[in-house]
Amino acid sequence: MIASLRADGLKMRKRWANWIMVAILLAWLVLLVYALLYLVVKTQPASLRGSQVPASVLIRQIFPENFIPTVLSTAASIGAAIMIIFGALSTASEYGWSTVQTILIQKPGRTAVLGGKGLALFVATVLISIAALAVSALSAYVVVTVDGSSSSWPAATEIVKGFGALILQLAVWAAFGAFLGIAFRSTAAAIGGGLVYLFVGEALLGSLFRTAPVIKDVLKLLPGINASGVNGAFRLTYTNPSNQVPLVDPTHGVITLLVYLVAFTVLSLLIFRRRDVGGG
Amino acid sequence: MGMAQSYAVETHGLSKRYATGVLAVNNLDLRVRTGEVYGFLGPNGAGKTTTLRMLSGLLRPTSGTATVAGGAPGSPASLAQLGAMVETPAFYPYLSGRDNLRVMARYSSVQKSRIEPVLQQVDMTDRARHKFKTYSTGMKQRLGVASALLKDPQLLILDEPTSGLDPQGTVEMRELIKDLRQGGRTVLLSSHLLNEVELTCDRVGVIARGSLVAEGTVDELRARSGGQALLVRASPIDQARRMLESLLKPDQVQLRDGLFTLAVGPSQAAAINRRLVADGVDVTELRVAEQSLEDVFLQLTEKQP
Repeated sequence: MIASLRADGLKMRKRWANWIMVAILLAWLVLLVYALLYLVVKTQPASLRGSQVPASVLIRQIFPENFIPTVLSTAASIGAAIMIIFGALSTASEYGWSTVQTILIQKPGRTAVLGGKGLALFVATVLISIAALAVSALSAYVVVTVDGSSSSWPAATEIVKGFGALILQLAVWAAFGAFLGIAFRSTAAAIGGGLVYLFVGEALLGSLFRTAPVIKDVLKLLPGINASGVNGAFRLTYTNPSNQVPLVDPTHGVITLLVYLVAFTVLSLLIFRRRDVGGG
Repeated sequence: MGMAQSYAVETHGLSKRYATGVLAVNNLDLRVRTGEVYGFLGPNGAGKTTTLRMLSGLLRPTSGTATVAGGAPGSPASLAQLGAMVETPAFYPYLSGRDNLRVMARYSSVQKSRIEPVLQQVDMTDRARHKFKTYSTGMKQRLGVASALLKDPQLLILDEPTSGLDPQGTVEMRELIKDLRQGGRTVLLSSHLLNEVELTCDRVGVIARGSLVAEGTVDELRARSGGQALLVRASPIDQARRMLESLLKPDQVQLRDGLFTLAVGPSQAAAINRRLVADGVDVTELRVAEQSLEDVFLQLTEKQP
C-alpha cells in the first residue's frame, strides 16, 4: 500500500489540474471571502445599510478571531466542490486514460492500489486543509492590520478542532468524488454528478425544504447538512440573525460524516475489486 | 523467485462470457513452456486479448482455471513475475516517459535504477523526458515494453506489440522481442500478423472464435494442415498438362502463369520428372512449394463452425 501511496503521490504532484484546483480554492478564500467582504463592508452599499448587523460588527467575520468559522463556511461550498473534482479526477482519469489496467498489472493487488490512492487523497486533503487555514489566517491578519483594528486569535484547542473539522468534511467530499469516479468510470459524469448533487441536491433543495416535516428528517442524513452541523460548533464572535441554524448538532454531524467516509471507501473498494477491467 | 514448473502459463477450460452474452473465450486449454517465445495467433475478435486480460488478472474468467508464472492470475505472486503490455499501451499523458516509468517502478517496488537500463533497451532514452502525449504510436509501444520489463519478469505478455508501427518500427520491435527471451525469459506474444509469429516464435497456438484450434511449431502446423505441393514449369505446356492430368487426378493439377501446382508431396517429384522427360517434355523447374503460414492460418480458422 505504501508503494501505491508513493506512486499516487508522484502522479498527484505532477498533475497541473490538481495545483490549479488548490489555487482556485485559496484564491477564492483571499479574493471572494476576505477581500470582497472587506470592500463591501467598507464601501457600505445600500443593501448592507439595511443589515441587522452594523458594518463595524460584520467586518469582524474576516478578523483573526473568526478565521476558523470563515474557512469552514468556505469549505462547505467551494471547498466541497473542489474536493469532489479532486477525488473524481484521481479515480476517473485512470479509466479515461486506461491507466487502470497498466497499474493493475504491476505488483500490488487491487486493494493495495486503491488503498494507496485513498491514502494519497487523504494526505492531499490534510495539506489542502493546512494551506486553507494558513491562507485564511494570513488574510485575516492582513485585513485587521490594514483596518487598524484589534482582534485576538482563537485558542489553540479551537484551531486544532477546526483543523480536524475541515479535514473531515473535505475528506468526505474527496471520497465522494473518488467513489463517483470509480462508479461512473468517466471524469465528466463523476464531476457533473457530484456537483449537481452538491449544488442542486444539497444546497438548493436543502434550503427550500429545510422546514418541511418529512424532508427535514431526510436532509439530516445528507453529508452537506451534517458538515454544516459540524461547522455550527465554531460560532462567529457576534450574532447574525440572518444565519441559518444548523439542522443537526455537531456530534451528529461528526458521526454521520465518519459513516459517509467509511461508506464511500468501502463501496469504492468493493466495486474496484470486483469489476473487470476492459473487454466486453 | 525461480519458476520450477515446466509451463509458464497453463490454462484449463478457461472461458469468458461477457455480460452482453458474448462468449469471447471458450474452454481454452493453453500451455506455454518456460523459456519459449509462444505466438498466440488469431484473427481480430478471436479472443486473444480477452485471454491475455484474464491471464493478467484484469478480467475474471467465467469458468476454468489458469496458472501464470506460478500463481493465480492477478495475485501478487503472479504479478511479481509478470510483465505485460495488453492492448494499447496506456500511460499518463501529462507525465514524461521517464516519469511514467517512475510511477510504475513505485507501484512494483522496483528500484529507480532500473529505469535507465530499460529505456536503453527499448531505445527511448533520448525521448524519455518528453511528455507521453507527444509520443508516436511506435514510441508508445516501446514505452509499454519498457514498463513491462521494469520488474525484469520471468514471463512477458505482449499483445500485438507491432500494432500501428511502420515497417522500420516493426522490424525493430521484432528484433527487440528476440532479445527479450535472453536469460530464459518466457514470452507470450499475441498477434494477427502471421509473418510476425513465424519470424519470432518457437511455437504457435491458433485461436478462432475463442477456442484453440491448433498448437505446435510453424512447421508442425503446416504439416498438419495438408502440407506441401510441387511446382513444375515444363514445355510444351499442353503436352505437359495432358501428361500430368493422366498421371494425377485432374483436381490435383492447377496451371497459373505457366507454372503447374501439383497437390502431391515431394516423394512423387522424381517419378513425375521421369515421366515428363520420358514423354519428351522439357522440365525447366521442379520444386517443393511450402504452404505459407497464411494458408495454414486461413485453413485452421475457417474450419471452425
